[in-house]
Amino acid sequence: MSARDTILNAIRGGLGNTEIHPMAVRREADALLQGLPSIRPPLLEDGLVDAFIARVTSPKVAATAERIASASELPAAVGRYLEARGLPAVVALQPAAPLQDLDWSGFELHDEVAPDETIAIGVARWGIAETGSLVFHSGADTPILANFLPLHHLVMVRADTILPFLDDYAAATAGQRPPRNVNIVTGASGTTDIEGSLVLGAHGPRFLHVVIVGTPDSSE
Amino acid sequence: MTTTLKQIGAFSSPPRVGLFVTCLVDAMRPSVGFATLKLLRDAGCRVEVPDAQTCCGQPAFNSGDTADAAVLARHFIETFEGYDYVVAPSGSCVGMTRAHYAEALADDPAWAERARRLGERTYELMSFLVDVMHFAPADVKLDTSFTYHDSCSGLRELGVHDQPRALLDKVSGLTLKPLEGNDVCCGFGGTFCVKYPAISNAVVGEKADAIDRSGASLLLGGDLGCLMNMAGKLKRKGSSVRSFHAAEVLAGMAGGPAIGEER
Amino acid sequence: MQEATLSFKARAKEALADPTLKIAIDRTTGTAERKRAVAMTQFPQFEAARERGKRIKDHVIANLDHYLLEFERNAIASGAKVHWARTAEEASQIVVRLCKEAGAKRVTRVKSMLGEEIGLPHALDEAGIERVETDLAEHIVQLGGDRPSHIVWPSMHRTREQVSEMFKRLHRAPHQEETIEAMVDSARRELRDKFLTADVSISGANFLLADTGATCTVTNEGNAELTTTPPRVHIVTAGIEKLVPSMGHAIAMLRLLVRSATGADVTQYTTFHCGPKQTGDRDGPEEFHIVLVDNGRTRMLREGMKDMLRCIRCGACMNHCVVFRQLGGHVYGGTYPGPMGAVLTPMFDGLEQSRDLPHACTMNGKCQEVCPVAIPLPTLLRGWRDRSWREGLEPTAVRFGLGIHTFVASRPRLYRLGTAIAVRVMRLFNRGGLVKGMPGLGAWTAYREFPAPAKRTFMEMYKDQEKGQ
Repeated sequence: MSARDTILNAIRGGLGNTEIHPMAVRREADALLQGLPSIRPPLLEDGLVDAFIARVTSPKVAATAERIASASELPAAVGRYLEARGLPAVVALQPAAPLQDLDWSGFELHDEVAPDETIAIGVARWGIAETGSLVFHSGADTPILANFLPLHHLVMVRADTILPFLDDYAAATAGQRPPRNVNIVTGASGTTDIEGSLVLGAHGPRFLHVVIVGTPDSSE
Repeated sequence: MTTTLKQIGAFSSPPRVGLFVTCLVDAMRPSVGFATLKLLRDAGCRVEVPDAQTCCGQPAFNSGDTADAAVLARHFIETFEGYDYVVAPSGSCVGMTRAHYAEALADDPAWAERARRLGERTYELMSFLVDVMHFAPADVKLDTSFTYHDSCSGLRELGVHDQPRALLDKVSGLTLKPLEGNDVCCGFGGTFCVKYPAISNAVVGEKADAIDRSGASLLLGGDLGCLMNMAGKLKRKGSSVRSFHAAEVLAGMAGGPAIGEER
Repeated sequence: MQEATLSFKARAKEALADPTLKIAIDRTTGTAERKRAVAMTQFPQFEAARERGKRIKDHVIANLDHYLLEFERNAIASGAKVHWARTAEEASQIVVRLCKEAGAKRVTRVKSMLGEEIGLPHALDEAGIERVETDLAEHIVQLGGDRPSHIVWPSMHRTREQVSEMFKRLHRAPHQEETIEAMVDSARRELRDKFLTADVSISGANFLLADTGATCTVTNEGNAELTTTPPRVHIVTAGIEKLVPSMGHAIAMLRLLVRSATGADVTQYTTFHCGPKQTGDRDGPEEFHIVLVDNGRTRMLREGMKDMLRCIRCGACMNHCVVFRQLGGHVYGGTYPGPMGAVLTPMFDGLEQSRDLPHACTMNGKCQEVCPVAIPLPTLLRGWRDRSWREGLEPTAVRFGLGIHTFVASRPRLYRLGTAIAVRVMRLFNRGGLVKGMPGLGAWTAYREFPAPAKRTFMEMYKDQEKGQ
């Protein structure tokens, strides 16, 4: 007997060989996700964007955040970030239209992220207010490594893509073909592997800066 | 449909309580038994001490000897079944009867059911006094400070936490000094402390240090096994903290020698 | 998978005599305990969430064959290749074979307890494949040539001083400054090019999503994504109990897992991996393999240990265990230490070799209290004790002693006489309120005093009182 059949038979035997009705299983599984507000934590603030920013900048997540009115202000925001830290205006720009279409004059741009990249700029598909997370999907305009190789990761997210809870992300994408990778990023890379003390910049970015564009009802 | 005693209200006739003194109190520290007796009587109970009582069977059960535990569980049930309530000055023994007798007797549904029904009427002393009898000690005075260790079985199997504090709060002159890690096991663990003495010692060593750091003069608790373990360690390290079962203090009977002192 | 040949007690003795180890354990588990406690105060729904989490896992286990087949179907549809392994050896062999087929010279690994359980590090080393551990703690373990001592912080047994010394000796461009930040930076430099030049990556999975065939990893360092993206082949090894119906269920479990493990709300990186690189993707592996591993799990289902299949490997039970916090993880001798390890190791290694593990527990119940899926760990541990008793593995002296005890304790008059005599014998050794030098009490009195009993038993005194009245 194949390993597969041996395992499946052993499970059926262990469970008492009872018949399984897929529809009943499905109903039971759905029921287990009812009443979500009673099994998840509250948001930190009333407004979605405020709640999101409160999480992003909380000591637990320890990232920085700022708001701009429209995407066209992003290059200036990035410029201020770099200048405040004495960093050169040499950046890896994610090859995504919302970023590529902006006016980056004054910046030296490239789209391949180098192993020792200092600064990369990306755009997240969603923000999650519950946790202060950013959600990325791998794809033609979203290399996964761009989220992990740079030392400083600057991420734009549109206010109208901020969802209240992680569950809302799951609901928003249910039934669609998943990408190779969904990255839910919450703060900079960290480790507590040496004596439990938190150090940022373990393998991934040491600094995460989130730029929220627009308002929840009028994005640009 | 039987009417429970609670429904009768303020006990028109006093509840008949079977006192299980526990094997440790019987052999090692009778004063805890007499303190329990006094508290139960003060609370308005008609207390009897059945002569047939022995051991609850926990050592056998925790050693994996379920068959022997079942023998002692049956003996306990037969001895105490006739009372309105069974009370013991130990969360550990009561935890055994309430939480584990049904497990030890699982092969015998009739006995398991008897165990379950007796378990519902079996109480650790402090919780019985507070939750069932709504009792508070009156005119007890002791000018000193104490710290309190929550023994694990009482705390986690029976939810005993607030009751001893509420009772001790009524003792005039007595102040609580909090114990860091009050809900952390003292390392007694029944036979564990003699099966793995070195590990047990490391655990109780930390506990004794925490007790000393509390700055209290007395260590109180609700389980004699844990108290003997902690008192024994405190004595060995030369600490001046004196150990009593909380019942002794509540009954105004803490004037005598503490655990491990010459009597 | 056994730790040397020393007995449990001998290993415990060594650990207890190591003051550096105790400092290291306290620093890590103490921080974890404090952070978890804070996280609980910020999540008032935790108890309800825990009950739901338990039900989700129970539901999956009750329909495990259904979910495995659904997962397999969807994973294959996403382009993954699914393999099944009955045993640890079979699982390791599959992984090694896949590495060889990929012509792998260097593989990068993301920390996975299942990988440890199936002996994968050893199997890769044996096969002559260069293995690069990318989790910082596993990197420390690899440099130190020892074994993980905690499931969340595998190098918990190392102090910062020891790590610093190792990095200085073994890194190509080690840190200059004696700070943890500088040490972490040293590891970052050391590992960066290895991430990018590996041929195969191997990860575990925190969850397997039945409805899409995706696998989920959680890390704080970002090493999972750096590991699994560049190489041409990505292999996942996962226990069959890791299934959840959907992403929504995974999210409900994540809320429990991360808070219980580290006190954070979510890990920095939660990543779902579904199939290989898709058409047009900028990066990602061309092959994606998933190895589903039984290794004793179906036996647990049959042998009354179903509750343990809920375990999501958060480590809260060990962080809160008084025994673990004295000994650390190596003493347990198996892949998994602490209370959950004491339940699992007898299943993997056999009860006879590991009978100490379920016994070296005070049954204080703290582990069950903090378990995010409410596993009755003390009950399962007692289950092993029960089995050990029935299989005759308990020492003769203990069996004899308990036999006598039961014989006497079920005969009240004999019991009364026995206690009265015992008290009088102990009184013979009374020295100022303490029993001194009495044979048979050595295990107790080696470390603490034994308070002397009163002159007579309670029952004797009580009867006299009753007569007097």
